Amino acid sequence: MNKPSRISKKSAWQATVKVHHLFPFSKMAQDSVGFSSDYQFWMQKLSVWDQASTLETQQDTCLHLPRFQEFLRQMYEVLKEMDSNTIIERFPTIGQLLAKTCWNPFILAFDESQKILIWCLCCLINKEPQNSEESKLNSWTRGLLSHILSAFRFDTKEVGLFTQGLEFTPADYYPGLLKNMVLSLVSELREYHLNGFNTQRRIVPEKIRLLSRICIPLVTLPDIEPLVEALLTYHGHEPQEVLWPEFFDAVNEAFLLKKISLPESAVVCLWLRHLPSLEKATLHLFEKLISSGRNFLRRIECFLKDSLLPEAACHPAIFRVVDETFRYALLETNGAPEVIAAIQVFTGCFVEALEKKNKQLKFTFKTYFPYGSPSLVMVLLQHPKEIPQELWHQPLKHISEMLREIVEDQTHRSYGGPFECWFLFIHFGGWADIAAEQLVMSEAEPPEALLWLLAFSYSPRDRSLQRAQTMAEVKAVLIRLKKLLGSPSLSAEDLQAAAAESRDRDPRPPLCQQLIRRLLLNFLLWTPRAHVIAREVLTLMAPTDELTHEMTGFLDQTLYRWDHLRMEATGPRKLARELLAELRPAGSAV
Amino acid sequence: MESLVEHLQRFSELLAVSRTTHVSTWDPATVRRALQWARYLRHVHRRFGRHVRIRRALERRLQNQWGQEGASGSAPVPGLTNFQALGRGDLLLSLRLLENRALGDPDYHYLLRQLFPGPGVPDPDEEALQGSLARLARCRSAVQLLRFSGPGEKSALEDPVLKTQAELLLGRLREVPKAEAEGPSRFLSTLWDRLPQNNFLKVLAAALLLPPSSPRPQGEELEPGTPQTPGDGAQELVRWLLEKSDVLAAFCRSLPVGLLTSVAGRHPALCRAYLGLLTDWGRRLHYDLPKGTWVGAEPQHVSWEELYGRFQSLCRAPPPLKDEVLTALEACKAQDGDLQVPGVSIWTDLLLALGSGS
Repeated sequence: MNKPSRISKKSAWQATVKVHHLFPFSKMAQDSVGFSSDYQFWMQKLSVWDQASTLETQQDTCLHLPRFQEFLRQMYEVLKEMDSNTIIERFPTIGQLLAKTCWNPFILAFDESQKILIWCLCCLINKEPQNSEESKLNSWTRGLLSHILSAFRFDTKEVGLFTQGLEFTPADYYPGLLKNMVLSLVSELREYHLNGFNTQRRIVPEKIRLLSRICIPLVTLPDIEPLVEALLTYHGHEPQEVLWPEFFDAVNEAFLLKKISLPESAVVCLWLRHLPSLEKATLHLFEKLISSGRNFLRRIECFLKDSLLPEAACHPAIFRVVDETFRYALLETNGAPEVIAAIQVFTGCFVEALEKKNKQLKFTFKTYFPYGSPSLVMVLLQHPKEIPQELWHQPLKHISEMLREIVEDQTHRSYGGPFECWFLFIHFGGWADIAAEQLVMSEAEPPEALLWLLAFSYSPRDRSLQRAQTMAEVKAVLIRLKKLLGSPSLSAEDLQAAAAESRDRDPRPPLCQQLIRRLLLNFLLWTPRAHVIAREVLTLMAPTDELTHEMTGFLDQTLYRWDHLRMEATGPRKLARELLAELRPAGSAV
Repeated sequence: MESLVEHLQRFSELLAVSRTTHVSTWDPATVRRALQWARYLRHVHRRFGRHVRIRRALERRLQNQWGQEGASGSAPVPGLTNFQALGRGDLLLSLRLLENRALGDPDYHYLLRQLFPGPGVPDPDEEALQGSLARLARCRSAVQLLRFSGPGEKSALEDPVLKTQAELLLGRLREVPKAEAEGPSRFLSTLWDRLPQNNFLKVLAAALLLPPSSPRPQGEELEPGTPQTPGDGAQELVRWLLEKSDVLAAFCRSLPVGLLTSVAGRHPALCRAYLGLLTDWGRRLHYDLPKGTWVGAEPQHVSWEELYGRFQSLCRAPPPLKDEVLTALEACKAQDGDLQVPGVSIWTDLLLALGSGS
């Protein structure tokens, strides 16, 4: 069964991603009715919310914060074109609307709403009031602005007198007070955490729930970050989740947009406690990987490390979710090389993180890869760096045999079918690349195990007959290529002929052809004599855009692997770099 | 340099005026000039931030103003107190003008246009000021929201309002010119005279209990040449308290007992002073045979119950303090003849009541 063409790979993946809504508040509802009806709608809402002192009003306010901010922006655009009198004519109740907004601290605390509100209020100020009405309006507006900005408001008059007596402004007092209030709340949360049941002052679940609601509009305010962190890492003794779900949403979104910086432990808590956040984070990463440009594994690695997902994945629960998403993407895109590359880089980062945490977390590998046989997993996890290069054929052979056993065993499906096997294997796809190199580099006859491994990795769905044919083709090409090494002169045409398919046979399946192209490129890199004709060979292959894309991917992947394995390979490296630079479109270098 | 200093002076005057009704004589051009001066000083701050010599010179001039304004009695603190303040002059001025009801409508209108030009402002300074003001508004609503979560801790050790005032106080104390040794004391005395005393005492206690490395209230970075001595502020407070016996008496009498114990635990000099006061108060009580209890001669004298409560609190404190208190009590008891009979020496009775077998 031939695989369908992969032209629409990218759009398929994008479709996958769009199925999950990333940001529920991203766009204002498509309102065709106009600004006036919005105005009525929000006026009503504000009246119901009042000062947002009950649970229901707080919850409802928080749900509407981004949309209301959009409305404020629109309103400002309308108001700034008018003068004060026109505004009152056109919107007689605007004073009410703005006042109610001022008195709702949730709205003022959110993002830029306070700034936009101030802009709107500024529009109401009359430069030269002509009568007492206009004067009164001015006075009233100034009062509101003072309420938001410059007035000292205190529980007791004495505090006001003290602060002003020392010549401090609200700009000195409030940031300091906020910092101290946050510190006090954090220590309340931590104290419970440390002392469990024994502490006298136990913070009640109600208060924690309330705090999580209060923090929703504030998550992007840097001063609040310690409190957010303390809430996320708070572990009470209540059976169900005590934090408000919208709180998790707000924190997650702020984290993904880099509007808050949290330590890894807090982010892990967030994702462990709230699955939708983890899913959003994974999809957000995928979107980034798609749009980041093609075949830059270093860049992919940066994105991955940046996202904190590899570290978080040291918790098997998180790993499973991310892995499932990768699996889904892989199936939807029919094994797109971009997805495979992302899986490999992810696994690499994950293993690295796991090694660093070795002292703290101890889960068996079975928890991460329940679909793979544990012994296979152990072998795959070996790092080639730890094995001398000349001995690499041993683990390769071992892997091949184990995989083959599972794949060809029709009766016992204890570890899933060929797809599960293959999915596990491509996490550690570096082994396939090493196999390809070994085949090209060694003098001896190509070992069956390696041939099988390569054929399987490129075309997992083949039946035995097809696989055997692929293996035979590959073997034939390798023998032809190596024979050429014996001849005194090496020409591009010779090489191309050696790799070409024979005319009297069925045309090669595309994946088999791809594998052979891969081997040819390997051959070029590892045969010093072939370096001079490398470009000619490539030209003869008549690369289309897609083929160029494929070769760029291969070269990038190879260089990335050599860096990670710290392989010297100066000659091949130089050629690979040069070819990569030439193949890549101008201006897209890393 | 001279013109710079002149600007500084003019701006300080401007700041002083900006709070008065004198602004009603202003017009938009005046507001514009004022903001321009403020902006100029912000540039100065940015430019000479690393220039130690010029900074020192400017700071010296600013410190002179402390003396002048303090003497004229207008305010204990001048408008611009240190070099850092130059960077925030526009913020200071803006807040004062915004709050001043005497500012005419056209001027206010102009001021708002300058402070809040709207989205997409190309000028980085204007954007910075707009941003600071918006952040302030956000910060205020954050405080209000957090208050929703309930009263929380109210002990002065942890009350955020007291703690913030304490930090502000220590911040100002650091800025008082150290040229004369009396500077800080005089400053504190002025505050004592002007500000509500009850609150002031609580703030003093909170300041004395702040952790030693208390951060500066405005997050200023260390200026080169200023020695970082965070303990200095607290030391100044202790020194002043010990000088002013009336303040000390009020301090020890009106603050909550537990709070005083904490302060005594932190500051040995104050501990001794406190004990001294306690012994004075104790000596004023005499034993009333019919009632069978110790009473004071006059109603305002500290009662037996109160005295006992204070000693009890002190003895509940951890070792160094507790031991010192017991030693002091034993010494007093010894002075009175070291009798074990109740009703003769108040110190004996106290020790008995405290169950001082420990």
